[in-house]
Amino acid sequence: MKKPIKYILTALILGISVYNSIYIKKLNELKDKKNNAVFNAKTFASDFMSTKIETLKSINSSMFLNDIAKDVKEYAETNGNNLGISNDYYFIIDGNATVINIKEEDVVISLNENSHRILKIATDFIFGNAIREGAKMANIGDYQNTMDYNNISVEVNNLVRETIVSPFGKSVKEGDAIYFKGAVKVNTKKPMLDSLRVIPLLLKINK
Amino acid sequence: MKILTKLIKLQNLIILLALFTTLGCKNKNQEETKKIAVVISTLNNPWFVVLGESAAERARELGYEATIFDSQNNTSKEAEHFENLIAAGYSAVLFNPTDSEGSVSNVKRAKQAGVPVFCMDREVNSLDAATSQIISDSFSGCVELGEYFVRQLNKKGKYVELLGLVGDNNTWNRSKGFHSVVDHFPDLEMVAQQSADFDRSKALEVLESVLQSNPDINAVFCGNDAMAMGAYQALVAAGKADSVMVFGFDGAEDVMNAIHDKKIKATVMQSPKAMARTAAELADQYIKGKRDFSAKTPLAVQVVTQDNINEFGAYGSEK
Repeated sequence: MKKPIKYILTALILGISVYNSIYIKKLNELKDKKNNAVFNAKTFASDFMSTKIETLKSINSSMFLNDIAKDVKEYAETNGNNLGISNDYYFIIDGNATVINIKEEDVVISLNENSHRILKIATDFIFGNAIREGAKMANIGDYQNTMDYNNISVEVNNLVRETIVSPFGKSVKEGDAIYFKGAVKVNTKKPMLDSLRVIPLLLKINK
Repeated sequence: MKILTKLIKLQNLIILLALFTTLGCKNKNQEETKKIAVVISTLNNPWFVVLGESAAERARELGYEATIFDSQNNTSKEAEHFENLIAAGYSAVLFNPTDSEGSVSNVKRAKQAGVPVFCMDREVNSLDAATSQIISDSFSGCVELGEYFVRQLNKKGKYVELLGLVGDNNTWNRSKGFHSVVDHFPDLEMVAQQSADFDRSKALEVLESVLQSNPDINAVFCGNDAMAMGAYQALVAAGKADSVMVFGFDGAEDVMNAIHDKKIKATVMQSPKAMARTAAELADQYIKGKRDFSAKTPLAVQVVTQDNINEFGAYGSEK
């Protein structure tokens, strides 16, 4: 083989191998991609609160209290959500009610459909996983680090405190007619159905 | 002569057949007594001893030969155990990792060798390495404990937090669960937050040192019960055991007794026995052919206080 052809062929092979082994990308594009891969609980919670609440499936609270009282365990296993191996079950309930007492940590309401049925709307000590589990808005198996999954609850609770409870607390008074939607936790071993506490997702004072 | 040669050949063939049959039987016998390895982060803490022994006991009840390996809180030691158990032909590993990041490669090595790994109590930072991870819902437990803590301190006071191993996700799940509550109360001030590696002696040393610069604390929150006992010892030595509240996590026997005797305020009961049993049963299901496991199975925990202590036994047994 003639020398020039040899050189051209070698250069061609080298050129192709180098071209296919080096990729040039913008650093900011790579950083953005990496940041997007990191789970952002705040964005996830904010998206849920702004787009999913109104349409979130719920059980009428009066019906819920009547039905769960018949057989707590069976009702919870059929209609509730729970996390792993636990006696705690979570539900999303709603209803129309009248405010009968405003306390330091909650607002006590009686249900319009059955005034003997009492619930508490939490206005302080809004912690835990009631909303995340009641709404089944995420699956623990999808999160490599369980803390990402737990941060969803932290951020949702922050939003409830800031955007739902704070404005409600400023304007609610005894005797008000309200509509509520929220999450409740029931422990099948210690149900305590007479003092259930609702972590609110939606609170409207009917004028 | 030809007949003699044929006879010798036939004799050799019979010997070979007998040899194969014997070896075949031996292998069959080996299959009948499969082995399960129980690899524990440390046996220098009674809680983990209960975890390891309960896992081995349940595996034996299910018909397996079970061996416990102690990683001594050392990922290199843990890696050695994994190499040995893979080479020794164990059928499954019930695993309590030393480090959520550092232990991933060990679990992956076992997976590549076809050995399923079931994590207990501590998780590894990978969704596809372990077959399933059975963990305590530490975050929820510390949310509840945090609420109790706030009420006991009437929403004000100074406190110290003793963290566990910084490389363990449980350390942060517990700490963040606690802070997701306590940080909402501005009159509660954390004057020190230091790691004592889940170790009783280290907790004693760390709190002794913290008390020198902060003698007026009202409470100590500890990421596990061993550290709670160490913290309590430091408070006794400083003459502050009656005025400073101690909170732990685990439900270990000595802390349960201390709660009963009104020395320690509260703990979070997580059940090593239930976790170990579940892991052994899942491993058994895997060996018998099941392949569809949920990546994580959290187990509920409960807050134990001086008011409800009589409802509980140590290490997760209910009375």
